Amino acid sequence: MSTVVANGVAHHVQNLGPVVDRGAPPVVMTHGLVIGSLASWFFTAAPALAQSRHVRMYDLRGHGRSARMPSGYDTHTLAADLDELTRDLPPFDLVGHSWGALVALRFAHLHPESVRRLVIVEAPLPPASAIEMTAFLNAGPEAIIDALPESLRTAVASGRRQAQRLVESVVYLVRDTTLLADIRAEPEPACVGLPPTLALYGDSSTCRPGGEAFARRCGATLDILPGGHYLHLDARAELTARIQDYLDG
Amino acid sequence: MTPELTPELTNEEILKAVEQAIVAIAGDEILVTGPVTMTTSFNADLELESIEFVALAEKLQHRFGERVDFVGWISGKELDQIIALTVGDLVELIATCRP
Repeated sequence: MSTVVANGVAHHVQNLGPVVDRGAPPVVMTHGLVIGSLASWFFTAAPALAQSRHVRMYDLRGHGRSARMPSGYDTHTLAADLDELTRDLPPFDLVGHSWGALVALRFAHLHPESVRRLVIVEAPLPPASAIEMTAFLNAGPEAIIDALPESLRTAVASGRRQAQRLVESVVYLVRDTTLLADIRAEPEPACVGLPPTLALYGDSSTCRPGGEAFARRCGATLDILPGGHYLHLDARAELTARIQDYLDG
Repeated sequence: MTPELTPELTNEEILKAVEQAIVAIAGDEILVTGPVTMTTSFNADLELESIEFVALAEKLQHRFGERVDFVGWISGKELDQIIALTVGDLVELIATCRP
């Protein structure tokens, strides 16, 4: 497994596609909190993007196969992790889902020279609105499974191992880390210094109104695709095509 | 050390290597329901997590080399096809990449 220590935390990193200096500018992809991992992108948009460009994905601290951490789920800390994980790259495109999109926004604001184009998918805005999506987390294992996107729920409902591991991971993040407090305390992202930005939302997502307001406020290109919050699963092909067009255009 | 992908490598040897990689990623207890066969499903039978499947692909890539294009293979599949993947599908992919 490719492990890279960044900000003192061992991160699971996956690189796909051609080496960095071949092909189009590299793209870095970040995933959402709690049930997300780099697999969110690995099985959806990343393989198609990797046909023409270097793609770097990593598991956020406390998620997937990265080290568990009791704190640091605010975008400031997560953007510092991202910074250390991408120092070897020339200016790159940045694509984030959900909380990973807020990390991307924060990173782009702090390092405008490093980001060529930005794609935010289903960023919860204002950030504290993500709490609504995590409200089910305190409701016990069955409610957690009920609240999963359908494709994941079907996979989990059939058996024990996946369900146990998922619930165990969720319980850790919710009970033993600052994750929920970090979400509540997260400020609105700034528009200053943002590169050309595409904001993608699902037509049936509760995040859509906040995203539309953000796009107006910050001058981002807005596009609505059929689906809910887990747009990479609900509209895998359309989302992939839209990201590819924006980054290639 | 298992050899790279050679013309002589049999499907049984590839299956064995895939099983070893699964155990290396997910631990011995993954085999409690019985040995891994060509019809074993990663999701329904082994209940591998998606991130474990990523790690498995990486491990097999290192083992069998760049001739095996896991990423191109995944990009050509729909999500429900990925969820339904069997060990045999993976063995077949590796086998067809033999020189």
